[in-house]
Amino acid sequence: MIAARGGLRLVQRRVAALRRAVVAEVEDMNRLIYHILRGGVVVSVAVLVFGFVLVAMTGRPIPERSIPPRSLGDQLYHFTPEGYLSLGVLILIFTPVVRVLLSLLSFVKEGDRMYVLMTLIVFANLITSLFLLA
Amino acid sequence: MSIAVLLILAIAAFLAGIGGSYLGIGGGVFLIPFMTLVLSVNIKVAIATSLIGVIATSSGAASVYVRDHLTNLRLAMFLEVATTLGGIAGALVGLRVPELFLYFAFGVMVLYAAAAMARVRETARQRAYQAGAEPRLTERLKLSSVYFDQEDQGVYRYRVERPVAGFGVSAAAGLFSGLLGVGGGFIKVPAMNILMRVPMKAAVATSNFMIGVTAAASAFIYYSQGLVDPGLAAMVIIGVFSGTNLGTRLLEHSKASNVRFAFAVFLAAMGLAMLLSRLPGVSI
Repeated sequence: MIAARGGLRLVQRRVAALRRAVVAEVEDMNRLIYHILRGGVVVSVAVLVFGFVLVAMTGRPIPERSIPPRSLGDQLYHFTPEGYLSLGVLILIFTPVVRVLLSLLSFVKEGDRMYVLMTLIVFANLITSLFLLA
Repeated sequence: MSIAVLLILAIAAFLAGIGGSYLGIGGGVFLIPFMTLVLSVNIKVAIATSLIGVIATSSGAASVYVRDHLTNLRLAMFLEVATTLGGIAGALVGLRVPELFLYFAFGVMVLYAAAAMARVRETARQRAYQAGAEPRLTERLKLSSVYFDQEDQGVYRYRVERPVAGFGVSAAAGLFSGLLGVGGGFIKVPAMNILMRVPMKAAVATSNFMIGVTAAASAFIYYSQGLVDPGLAAMVIIGVFSGTNLGTRLLEHSKASNVRFAFAVFLAAMGLAMLLSRLPGVSI
């Protein structure tokens, strides 16, 4: 429980830092990317720790297969360890995608057409792989 | 998986996180052999778990390097076009190339890079901005940049040479990434440092930044196949993230030549292991 509370406090601190970053430091892209990447990992770790707390509480074995995204909502609603461990992993996988989107916005703001194009290609590649075998 | 196995994996991931963030690689090259050989995890599950670890290393370490202005964001974006394209191609086409050929090509290339990196020593003078005209593409894409070195408190301006060749090598790195489930940092760091003349620390930071995106592209595919073991992945994420917090501090304060040397030793060991593992009668 202490771990869960500590994790929650970490998440709260991250969210607060992220909000400050968005409000005060929009012009500093490096700072914003730092908070997105760092925040993504910290939130992911917090969710994973919560998943392990659920494992300890329910006494169920640690799951060995990832949950398909379709049934994730249901699992989260019923507070299964599988659901929260998979959610933590998914949050981590999506962190770089959010970062690419952020780079896209910054290049659009700078009006740098070459880099907007390049970032779009990278983003399209990521989306392609997302749907390739799904 | 028993609790003991998970704890051992977390410790291994912690070490991979330190090494990965210090050398600009994802740590997949440590984690895959460790999981398959020591913990006897299925190879596909190991690759999927390693990809998750690569993303954790990248996000954990790259965030710090970006904040401290070590990362060249433009260069990263430029090369990511190549690595993600290569990553998809690797997942689709590369599977048809004979495995043995891959191992040998890979091993020889890695050994060559190791020799080149061990031989050339990076001094402040070499890091200094060279006179003469920039390549046209570098100028057009504004790839050249500056970085602040905490070790000697210097600000170094550098320019990026041979952007087209670097782009090609990055595509190959992406190909291997899609094929073997690694981030491909061990190809990108030498490519940037030797070929494109990016200073070592900037190369490590930029590589770390890129591998997350490269690995994410492959991780989606593995996740949708149900190959990600959430328990293993969770231990790897937690371990790696703790490791990167140490590794980033190590890199920022250490000498560039030491980083190069560590990288060269690591490459040499890996190249040898890859070549030997394919010889008959040797199992690594």
